[in-house]
Amino acid sequence: MEYQNPKIPEGINVSQEHPLKDFFIMLLGAGLIIAGLIFTLTLLAGSLVRYVPFELEQQLAASLEQELVETETVKPGRHQQYLQNLADRLVIAQQLPEAMKITVHYMDGDEVNAFATLGGHIFVYRGLLEKMPNENALAMVLAHEIAHIKHRDPLVATGRGLTVGLALMSLAGIADSALAQQVISQVSLLTTLGFSREMERAADNEALLTLKQHYGHTLAADTVFQIFNDLEDGQGLPAFLSTHPQSTDRIEVIDHFQHRHGSHQGTLTPLPSWFNEP
Amino acid sequence: MFNLIIFLSLLILGYVFGRMAESRHFKSILNREEQLRDILTFNERTLPPGYEQASGELVGGNVVISIDYFKQISAGLRNLFGGRVSAYETLIERARREAILRMKQEARLKGASKIINVRLETASISKGGQDQIGSVEVYAYGTALIPTP
Repeated sequence: MEYQNPKIPEGINVSQEHPLKDFFIMLLGAGLIIAGLIFTLTLLAGSLVRYVPFELEQQLAASLEQELVETETVKPGRHQQYLQNLADRLVIAQQLPEAMKITVHYMDGDEVNAFATLGGHIFVYRGLLEKMPNENALAMVLAHEIAHIKHRDPLVATGRGLTVGLALMSLAGIADSALAQQVISQVSLLTTLGFSREMERAADNEALLTLKQHYGHTLAADTVFQIFNDLEDGQGLPAFLSTHPQSTDRIEVIDHFQHRHGSHQGTLTPLPSWFNEP
Repeated sequence: MFNLIIFLSLLILGYVFGRMAESRHFKSILNREEQLRDILTFNERTLPPGYEQASGELVGGNVVISIDYFKQISAGLRNLFGGRVSAYETLIERARREAILRMKQEARLKGASKIINVRLETASISKGGQDQIGSVEVYAYGTALIPTP
């Protein structure tokens, strides 16, 4: 018997397609699927959240509140009293539902910041208060945070974070690879932020209406954004990466509002004289 | 953002070096296959005619090849969609041919011109474990027939 060793042509066992082409098609596919998923979840979260009673949100927040109070330096005192008082007046102007209770916490920290969280809690830092020239500017900040609570934004954001996280984890579970998960987490970073910017815009608008209702004008509503603008200079993040819309954009929106509603005339309310004392 | 930069650099690094290593390996495989063409391999257990007097000896070739970061990500994505995992196909192909070449090389040193009863064993080193380097081992072995003088 005669044996031969014929030459076998190359490329039978190996696909000849360029590996990068394959990779980018798959990456695009995964990106689209995830974007679609997040979009649907966000739409659902926004519309379903209205049916969650505020009491439930407060219960959820109970442990969170404890944690924040323990870790951060919350200082009760006359600042706290004053802030709570102002918030209560704004709540009436903003016509919050009866069940929604707003609690303001004064934080002894240098950060120029204020935020609203689950359960109707608003935290305001000393750093921000020190920069406030009058009550109207401070009222804009508080009204903005109250509007977030009125719109149930903290709950939507938390819920969305959870659902998206869970959805991605199970997706990655099917993938059975920590690395696929890594790819996915990089994609989702850029897509979830856009929606909270919508929330910011809605809260700005609601806050302006509140100021108009309470003071009869919206003077000094843009002060806080001027302050942020000054802070942002030098460390400006591109707009698509930041959760909040650019301060300059927000100042423009306020200008528009003032012209539309003719709310650019009135007198500013000063802060109490002791306000910037320690 | 920092994570993204690390991830992308690893990906590019994996792609560039993986491609370089792969094309160099394929070139070397083709070259050595040509040199060892005269050694015939069979999967049959029976002796070919004319070799009844030859002495048999075990020869084997063993190789472990690791995937690069790019291949790992690419295959991870492929896991979502299904289909040919082309990233791994080249890997297995290289490992199999390299193992056979090493076996043939051993046979050449022993003065054999035929290897019968050739078997291939494949093992995954990481066994699907998370956060481990995926690498494949291929072991080729057979009975080299050395003609008795």
